[in-house]
Amino acid sequence: MGCRGKDMTGRSTWIAYLLLLPALICLAVFRLYPIAAAVFGSLVTESAIEPGSQIFVGIQNYLQLFADPIFWQSLWVTLKLNLVINPLQVFLALLLAVMANQRFRAISFYRLLFFIPLGVSLPIACILWHIMLDPNSGLLNSLLNLVGIPSQPFLISESQALWSIVAIATWKGVSFWMIFLWAGLQNVPREVLEAATIDGAGRFRRFLRITLPLIRRPLLFVLVTDTAVNFLLFVPMFLLTRGGPSYSTNVLMYEAYKSGFVYGDMGRSLALVVVLLLLVMVTVLIQFRLFSREAES
Amino acid sequence: MHLLFCLVGVLFVLPLWWSVASSLRPIDEIFKFTSPFSIQALIPTRLDFSAYVNIFVDKGFGRAVSNSLLVAVTTVIGGLIINGLAGYAFAVFQFPGRRLLFFVTGLTFLVPFETISIPLYGVIKAFGWIDTYAALIVPGLANGVVIFLFRQFFAEIPPELAEAARLDGAGWLTILWKIYLPLSKPVIISGGLLLFLFQWEAFLWPLISTRSEELRVIQVALAGFQERYETLWNELFAASNVATLIPLLILLPLQRFYIQGVTASGFKG
Repeated sequence: MGCRGKDMTGRSTWIAYLLLLPALICLAVFRLYPIAAAVFGSLVTESAIEPGSQIFVGIQNYLQLFADPIFWQSLWVTLKLNLVINPLQVFLALLLAVMANQRFRAISFYRLLFFIPLGVSLPIACILWHIMLDPNSGLLNSLLNLVGIPSQPFLISESQALWSIVAIATWKGVSFWMIFLWAGLQNVPREVLEAATIDGAGRFRRFLRITLPLIRRPLLFVLVTDTAVNFLLFVPMFLLTRGGPSYSTNVLMYEAYKSGFVYGDMGRSLALVVVLLLLVMVTVLIQFRLFSREAES
Repeated sequence: MHLLFCLVGVLFVLPLWWSVASSLRPIDEIFKFTSPFSIQALIPTRLDFSAYVNIFVDKGFGRAVSNSLLVAVTTVIGGLIINGLAGYAFAVFQFPGRRLLFFVTGLTFLVPFETISIPLYGVIKAFGWIDTYAALIVPGLANGVVIFLFRQFFAEIPPELAEAARLDGAGWLTILWKIYLPLSKPVIISGGLLLFLFQWEAFLWPLISTRSEELRVIQVALAGFQERYETLWNELFAASNVATLIPLLILLPLQRFYIQGVTASGFKG
């Protein structure tokens, strides 16, 4: 039996715990505890008799939620959004990464341009595009008019609002995801690609058969993390459409915010958050499964 | 081929260019050239800096900038210390539960801030910190990714250096200060960048946790600008440009470190 309090090399373990303490306390209080509180909070509701005190109501919040047609509409909007935006952003990020990975003289200049949206925060991107997408005097409509396309309503149209948000979020976001994929591409050994070229494989084939499998890890990471981010997308709905027009952009996260901070129904708000988290976890699991199946084939 | 690159480049730059151009002209000129479109929409003929002056003098935008800078810089300093110490502990020491604790720490990175912001509000309320700088700063200090970065970095430093110092009787903090820290410039920069940008871009949490004007941070202030001063386009653009320029000025020269920082978290697997 070794000395208590010291590891094999004689280091005092209590110092390690001391060094860890501030970070662990912060993480426990501000990250882990809120998750538990969210689950618990979704199982209570505020007492009508004594305001401020809570009654345990079990799954009642959830039952009420599932009986509400607005919930189902919101779920549909969220799924619709994510089915489109996730593959789109990953594909575009990959395209950008391939472009950034080219070698020619002006590439550093172009790469700098690709990095510019990184400095733009999502709220600012929303504000800028809001003005540019203005139905009457917006820059985008003027440009469209130049080539003969009539002015579009964009954010005030029930059918176009959600997709306008997709465009804005993608404009701002792809540069960030591109970085991971570009780093992955840089790690593909040139010798392997050169050998394939000598064997007569065309560019597209080389990419599909050699490069793509070699960047599986960063690709999966980007897909999974981007999916989680997009399921929780909130800022454009808050700043640009307030969930409208006609609930067409009322994603679950916005509905959760509304329930909690506009209607004051924290139980419902947290129930929505828990449902959303479960949705993200399931989707991520499916993505992991799909990726490992592809690897086997 | 070059055409594609130009197209993408233009797509990324055009909105910002228009924003800068529009911020430098009098209000009535901003939309004069947009429909029908003429190239003058992008090139101001008369330069007018009054928008930039007004937002600071009349609209108190300077307050939002200084709030965000204060919160961001404090988070960077405090965060580097807290996360750095934790990374040091994970990298250099052996102790029971090390693997489990490190795993849990990494897991917190996966906890999306949007989902915990609502219950976090309850926690902060219980502390009585609603509408204080503490509410903005403290929850952002401990960061799983930054701990991971420090741990990976410190683990690469040869343990013989520390052993030699131990033989000379040096304490663990001395070793951290005299040996590990001087070698840590890259990780300090990437960790610092991540912490800074996290706070600079924060919107939902400051929106929920602070009410008063004095504490408003930059993203929330901009959203408010949009609502209240909607027709003062040039000022809205000016404020947005200031809010974008500051992180870009930090990000572009330190690109390499930023890339190292974010991709390290991506290869965690």
